[in-house]
Amino acid sequence: MRTRTPQIVALGGGGFSMEKENTLLDDYVLSLTRTRHPRVCFLPTASGDADHYIVRFYRRFSTPCEASHVSLFRRDQGTGIEEDLESHLLSRDLIYVGGGNLVSMLGTWRAHGLDEILHRAWRSGVVLCGPSAGSLCWFAEALSAFHGSPRAVPGLGLLPYSNCVHYDAEPQRREEYHSLVGEGMREGYAADDGVGLHFRGTRLARVISSRPGGQAYHVQATAEGIRETPLDVRYLGTRNAPARPRLHEPVADTRRARIAAA
Amino acid sequence: MSERPVVEPGQRVIFAMGGGGFTMEPNNPLLDVFILTLSPRPTPRILFLPTAAGDPNAQINAFHERFADRACVPTSLSLFRLGGMTRSLAEIVAEQDIVYTGGGSMRNLLAIWRAHHLDAILVDAWQRGTVLAGLSAGAMCWFSGGISRSSGAPEVIAGLGLLPGSLTVHADGEPDRLPVWLEAIRAGELPGGWAADDGVGLSFRGERLERVVSSRPGASALRVDAVDGELVRARVTPELLGAESTSLLAPDEDVRELRRVHRFRQGGGGYR
Repeated sequence: MRTRTPQIVALGGGGFSMEKENTLLDDYVLSLTRTRHPRVCFLPTASGDADHYIVRFYRRFSTPCEASHVSLFRRDQGTGIEEDLESHLLSRDLIYVGGGNLVSMLGTWRAHGLDEILHRAWRSGVVLCGPSAGSLCWFAEALSAFHGSPRAVPGLGLLPYSNCVHYDAEPQRREEYHSLVGEGMREGYAADDGVGLHFRGTRLARVISSRPGGQAYHVQATAEGIRETPLDVRYLGTRNAPARPRLHEPVADTRRARIAAA
Repeated sequence: MSERPVVEPGQRVIFAMGGGGFTMEPNNPLLDVFILTLSPRPTPRILFLPTAAGDPNAQINAFHERFADRACVPTSLSLFRLGGMTRSLAEIVAEQDIVYTGGGSMRNLLAIWRAHHLDAILVDAWQRGTVLAGLSAGAMCWFSGGISRSSGAPEVIAGLGLLPGSLTVHADGEPDRLPVWLEAIRAGELPGGWAADDGVGLSFRGERLERVVSSRPGASALRVDAVDGELVRARVTPELLGAESTSLLAPDEDVRELRRVHRFRQGGGGYR
């Protein structure tokens, strides 16, 4: 029996589906498997097993990995994998969960017992990762803004925090997240597109980014109001590469000022 | 809009197809045209739910193609596409005259509806006069149970129970469901019910089977009940839609059996 630390890399957005020319985040999660030929399985459930998404996964991962995917909508056309989901998933090095709709994905997973299988996979050291819904699902609570008003959706709860994704891309997300945390949602982490929260066990070990200036924050309710603390982010690319302007300090300042004013 | 009044239980309509309609019969609109007549309104609002297949664009496009030029107001609802929705699911469903549910994985369909509380919204709409129609998974879901291949091999699956019987689909196109269904009825796991071929639709008013219609000559339905541990079967011959006269006779049993064997050899070719 291997003894490996449980690891999750929760992406605020990014990876092969969102960053066509930028493999930094995907390379990072692959490096955590510590094997030259990692077995990687894609779960496209949150997109309804969209074909184009599955194709992009194989395009990015079929070399140098042993790549597979699980379709929970086509188990009747099973390739063998779908007949024994547990054995397949527990024997992977990395499980990559695609983005899409969190509520539909969790409902489908539970109907097939995948929630428990993923819990076991995590404990046995299979690295878990994903952007967007593929990030939110690992936390105890997630900010879902799919239809109607934004609300807290319970996730699988492997990480005892709340989570908010696309923090920079969708400006109203920040306000919504602060307001939910103010109303009793547990403390947690918010990540910009291109930023990954790397947890070892349930502890945040490192924050990485595929884009210069990518930010992540710890958000909690205090007696004085919502406190948003910017986290140290390690840019995975080379510093002298052509980069977008580093906006994060002034932006963070403005944000802090706004919090103070509120 | 104001809430519609609850209609008498005996007047609530469900239309269940063993297979057929725009996703399976691109060149045969008979069942889809029939569905529109189930609403008393001249231009009914019809909502397509492609949930069971994961909301694929191909199904959504086929739906709009089929209904765009007919007397109706077609819309579709995806539970997978992100963003942009400002109205609640309850508001969207409440204004529909017909809800049309596609085929796919019944296990996923029910799990996703429940996760979004759409199951309760649909039951409420049905009680207020909205016609519930669908094929395959989208037909069995209204019954107390059916036979699904959502996890691979055919197995018993519980439905929403709006209709007290059971339903199995693609009785001709995917014949491996049939023995599982018969055994479940014999063993008391499922109540008696109907097996519907591809192209066959069962129209219920309340719990009463009002009409059995078909888009294809030769397709049929089967009623099966367990009586003292024995299965009692009764073949139901549907009204052939689009046939103005009775001149179109169904082919005899030998021809139908040959067709079934042929379809089976081709690997089913049916829809899940």
